[in-house]
Amino acid sequence: MVEKRNDSASDGWQGPTGRRTDEWSECLTQIAATGDRAAFTRFFRHFAPLIKAFALSGSSLSAAHADELVQEVMLKAWQKASAFNPEKAAASTWVYTIARNCRTDMFRRLQKFDTPLAADDFMPDQEPSEPFAMLQSRRSRDTIHALMGTLPPDQAQILAKVYMEGKSHAEAAAELDLPLGTVKSRVRLAIQKLQIQIDR
Amino acid sequence: MAKFHPRVDLLTEYVAGILPLAQSACISAHLNYCPQCQQQSARLQDLGAVLFDSLTPVPVGDALLNTVLARLDEEPPLSYRRAQDPAVGRLPALLQRLMKGDFSELSWNKITSSLRISYLKTGDPGYEFALYHIKAGGKIPEHTHRGSEMTLVLQGGFSDAAGSYHEGDFLFREASDTHAPTALQSEDCICLAVLDAPLRFTSWKYRWMNPFLQLRAG
Repeated sequence: MVEKRNDSASDGWQGPTGRRTDEWSECLTQIAATGDRAAFTRFFRHFAPLIKAFALSGSSLSAAHADELVQEVMLKAWQKASAFNPEKAAASTWVYTIARNCRTDMFRRLQKFDTPLAADDFMPDQEPSEPFAMLQSRRSRDTIHALMGTLPPDQAQILAKVYMEGKSHAEAAAELDLPLGTVKSRVRLAIQKLQIQIDR
Repeated sequence: MAKFHPRVDLLTEYVAGILPLAQSACISAHLNYCPQCQQQSARLQDLGAVLFDSLTPVPVGDALLNTVLARLDEEPPLSYRRAQDPAVGRLPALLQRLMKGDFSELSWNKITSSLRISYLKTGDPGYEFALYHIKAGGKIPEHTHRGSEMTLVLQGGFSDAAGSYHEGDFLFREASDTHAPTALQSEDCICLAVLDAPLRFTSWKYRWMNPFLQLRAG
């Protein structure tokens, strides 16, 4: 289950320049700059339990696979630390993205997919480079964080199933004994309420 | 700029990493043409990160930390370098990788005088992932779908009763929608189509082909 935690203090930021000052982004920058193993140990102690929770939500993976995922994600974080750009994303968004990609790859491996593609290959060729992209991300995270508590429980539940448990809308519908259309509309309503709907 | 986009609930499944591989590849290719959908995906990813941050941590023992610390000196695996072939340079890198060459090097199956299809291997056992080449002004015989169909226009454009579609446009059709797409008169059209069941031609002239239209997944 996803619980709301109010720890925005560690998530703080300064002024409109978009400079990020949260603890974990600094820690990651330090790991990249100096290969600091003590910093990595702190980083591990914070994120490994979240990755494990992510792996186990909805009992999507066994305990052994969950530990394997933690290892894989943390190792990748160490290897890719120099690619982390604190101007673009918070460390936790960055770690979440790695964890999601590794989990998707693990699912495909377990299903014995014979594919030339890894989840990393699905990232768009060019990331949005508008000067305010980062600032928007910062704002949207703050807004989402603040509004999450106002979501009706049935909408929050679907988001947790989709994002954390890795269930498709169809699987969530079957599990909750709801019509597929209801699940999809709850997702759309939640996205509107969280103010992250973009005009396209 | 693309005018037809995946709906936000479909993008959510994409961002959460739960769409089937072949469909995921099609949406990823659309994002390369569409800054708005990229931006929408970024916001949906922020949502994922907030949910991730609020998970109740599950304790991890020091044994695992020590295993990881012991592996930090390992060489990172080589990562794929994106192709910069100017001939196919406009195509998303993911597609270039699956095609392993340009359009002329693919093996094409002729279906009608104006339609040929090239099947690409994604490794997804549930979905066919194919390029459709329709000659300028050519028509795909009227057909319906037994399953779902994702279409992404890669070059040129086509129209059907519902509208006209150009480079980067994305369409998602559910089972039993009937349509007869026609390529624009001005140039040939190349589309990516992702299907989970074979097409079924509805016009009498081509109906005899239906038993031969097997899904080429994988």
